[in-house]
Amino acid sequence: MGKSWLKYYIIKRLIYAVAIAWAIVTITFILVRIGPSSPADKYLANILSRGQDVTQVTAAIEARYGLDKPLWEQYANYVVHLFQGDWGWSTSTSMPVIDLIKKHWIYSFQLILLSTILAAILGILIGIYSAVRQYSKFDYIASFFSMAGISIPGFWLGVMLILLFSVKLGWFKVYYDTTLPLFSLENLKALTLPVLTMVTGMLAGYVKYTRATMLDNLRKGFVITARAKGLPERTVIGKHVFRNALLPLSTILIADLGGIVFGSAYLTEIVFGIPGLGQVSFKAIFAADYSVVVAIVLISTFLVLIINLITDIAYTYIDPRVRYD
Amino acid sequence: MLNNGTILKVTNLKTRFFTRRGVVKAVDGVNFELRRGECLCLVGESGCGKSVSALSILGLIESPQGRVIDGEARYRDMDLLRCSSQELRRIRGKEIAMIFQDAQSALNPVFTVGAQIIEQIKLHKKTGDKESKDRAVTLLKEVGIPSAESALERYPHQLSGGMRQRAMIAMSLSCDPQILIADEPTTAVDVTVRAQILNLFKELKVNREMSLIFITHDFGVVSEIGDRAVIVYAGKDVETAPVSEIIASPKHPYAAGLLNCLPDFAKVADRLVSIPGSTPDPTAPPSGCPFHPRCAHVMDICWQQEPERVKLSGEHSVSCYLYKG
Amino acid sequence: MTSKLLQKIGGPLYSNRRLISYYWQRIRKNKLAVAGLGFILFLILLAIIGPFLTGDPTKSNFEENNLPPVGFSTEVSIYNIATGQSTTSKIYGTWKHPLGTDSKGRDMLAMLISGARISLWVGLVATGIAISLGVLIGVLSAYFGGWADNALMRFTDVMMTFPFFLLLVMIVFIFGSNLLLIMVVIGLTGWAGIARMVRSETLSLRTREFVTAAKALGATDRRVVFRHLIPQVVSLIVVMATLSIPGVILAEAALSFIGLGDPTVTSWGVVLESGQQSLDTAWWVAVEPGIMLFLTALAFNFLGDGLRDAFDPKSRM
Repeated sequence: MGKSWLKYYIIKRLIYAVAIAWAIVTITFILVRIGPSSPADKYLANILSRGQDVTQVTAAIEARYGLDKPLWEQYANYVVHLFQGDWGWSTSTSMPVIDLIKKHWIYSFQLILLSTILAAILGILIGIYSAVRQYSKFDYIASFFSMAGISIPGFWLGVMLILLFSVKLGWFKVYYDTTLPLFSLENLKALTLPVLTMVTGMLAGYVKYTRATMLDNLRKGFVITARAKGLPERTVIGKHVFRNALLPLSTILIADLGGIVFGSAYLTEIVFGIPGLGQVSFKAIFAADYSVVVAIVLISTFLVLIINLITDIAYTYIDPRVRYD
Repeated sequence: MLNNGTILKVTNLKTRFFTRRGVVKAVDGVNFELRRGECLCLVGESGCGKSVSALSILGLIESPQGRVIDGEARYRDMDLLRCSSQELRRIRGKEIAMIFQDAQSALNPVFTVGAQIIEQIKLHKKTGDKESKDRAVTLLKEVGIPSAESALERYPHQLSGGMRQRAMIAMSLSCDPQILIADEPTTAVDVTVRAQILNLFKELKVNREMSLIFITHDFGVVSEIGDRAVIVYAGKDVETAPVSEIIASPKHPYAAGLLNCLPDFAKVADRLVSIPGSTPDPTAPPSGCPFHPRCAHVMDICWQQEPERVKLSGEHSVSCYLYKG
Repeated sequence: MTSKLLQKIGGPLYSNRRLISYYWQRIRKNKLAVAGLGFILFLILLAIIGPFLTGDPTKSNFEENNLPPVGFSTEVSIYNIATGQSTTSKIYGTWKHPLGTDSKGRDMLAMLISGARISLWVGLVATGIAISLGVLIGVLSAYFGGWADNALMRFTDVMMTFPFFLLLVMIVFIFGSNLLLIMVVIGLTGWAGIARMVRSETLSLRTREFVTAAKALGATDRRVVFRHLIPQVVSLIVVMATLSIPGVILAEAALSFIGLGDPTVTSWGVVLESGQQSLDTAWWVAVEPGIMLFLTALAFNFLGDGLRDAFDPKSRM
């Protein structure tokens, strides 16, 4: 059977992704513009100390940013520039936004990648075992601890880990050392506590969903068939049941990625002083450096959309019954 | 040890399910023997314990809720109920294969039909890719699937109901089993397909000289395919006889009732006949003869004491007080 | 068995005492859910009457700053101007401030009780907004189908893909740290997941006989939605509300933690943030509000899980 419909589906989804990006650009534009502050506000103290006329200088600054033009023209310029790849100038760090992101993305990437992989592997294994041994002691303990994991405020856990392991025991540095080479044992060590913080929060989702979807499929007819064929239990669970559980599992987990993972990475970066995009956007917000914020919002949204698309395509291979119309 | 003609002998099989609502006596002392090359039908209403008996023999009862608590299932020189799980795995699918009622749910939806058949061949025959695939094609042809090569690449949902059931049968035959257990294989398919599947079973019986256990609730099917029949009620075998004999003169009132339910197209009946009452609650079966609440010939002794087995002729036996020794 | 029983006693949850008592019997078996409920009730009581029993949480007292909780001690070095020497002395917690004081000498117990009030308030208001929006959008989307469903679900997609915490931070920064604004924004951004679930639940309900029956009897769309569909998804709503409260409380705390909390209120997040500055001199200031946040979130999660199991007989056999 061909999958020619898949090509149309991908094109449709890409158009859709662009539309969502446009909607988000518009939302952020409106937010920034209807906000009470103007980019000129930062220079206010400066202007006053020099004894210049506030209205005049503010107007000059606003003209430089194109703020004197009508709102729709500003909006059009803004959107056109973004789509041309001109993401603007970061006023707080005095460099193009693109360069700023190029410099910092890797720190977020390593943190999220390590945490996601670790949490997924651990959580799926625990979830499978909990489902196979439903109502056993292991099942209860696992669900208790994963519940505790999502209930702990991640930023607080981070602070507590620093207090215990860095301040009291001195095993780790209090702040993340940016001079460490990326692929080194020291870097891995420096990431231990941040990753631990993120994994604690993410684990529960993986455990809960894996357990639920495994239980769903463990009761299906094909499980008895697989056993009746004489397959060892390992194959029955690991191949026949898990492959069926994978589809609903990945749907839910990808949906989580946008909100939960990016949100917790954001706070984790701030607590541990990791200079990733979370911390960069955090600082940018406080510096009213909105072109940076918009860029980072767009990047994370786009990432979620792209990952969504990739998993959608992967589904058609995981479950041959899936067809998008 | 088993005598020459007998390939499987089940004695006093008892299977219990320990649920929150109490102990379900799913199988409560079932006896039968299967002879080489014959088709033995287990007949009874749904929930009477036919399927659970079959699953118990193969060790496929869901633990820990379900447990075989007593009995013996002699096959070759061993007792299947007391085999190690490893020994049992070598027998399942290789020497004793099973077919399930609903091929739609019994086949794994995310693997191709070919992959599922080849998996079983490789497991037991230890053959290579090419050889296993060729064998799968031969099997699909044997069960009458047109264009077998392309059917191999199809997923269960892409086949019609009849084709799915044929594929399921092909899979069960893949290791040339000594015994084939078919659990209501014609219930979930259309009437026209039902006749084809039954014919297929008849052919297989002749061509392969297999021993067949056919589980059904339909005396029409029994008369088509069966050599001998065991009537099961409330987890017990109440009557055993050659099919021709039991259809001509059923002894147990329950067997007679089941036969009566068959619409007789020779006569124009006003209404369909049914057995009054419903199957007993398996957590609290009636005392004495389990059929006494629904029986038209009930006597005082029927609810006081369980009837002994009465041998009527060499092949025909029944558990009922109507036929005292 | 259970589903038969449910059919027999059926009907919307709020108007059926027998159904409520049936669910209560089921919840009672789950000890963690009962413990969660107990803690939540205790917290509510604390939030209502607590502030009358403790002192003013905002009152500073530099005479008694950095006091440890009862049963703990810390070492403080005091610099003596006259001798030019610093002496180390041990300070013990006192019953006057059973949970200690912070660097400004404010009573921790009073601050935590005030925080309970704010956290519960935030949880209630924000979840209320999110649930009402989610239910409304979900039910409308499922009930009307077609282009309305399509438009609403695409909008929901946008909300779900948006990095919501970043949006929250930005809005609060732009428009100022105000508790009401924070609650409203959390509520306005948190409905997408709820709308999705309500939609799929309603879709399966929509085709059931009682809706067809109501329509056949001439009920208006409005009546079908409010009298028949919404009551049926009530159990789902109760579960989702309980499970989304911890997220909301933690979001407010996280905002306060990064310095965007409402400075005029004493929330757990605000206290925690101030405690992070004095980790080495007064660890308890950061530890205590964190424990309260943790226990509160845990209690709601356990209760929500227990409720879900009680309402959905399929999930636990």
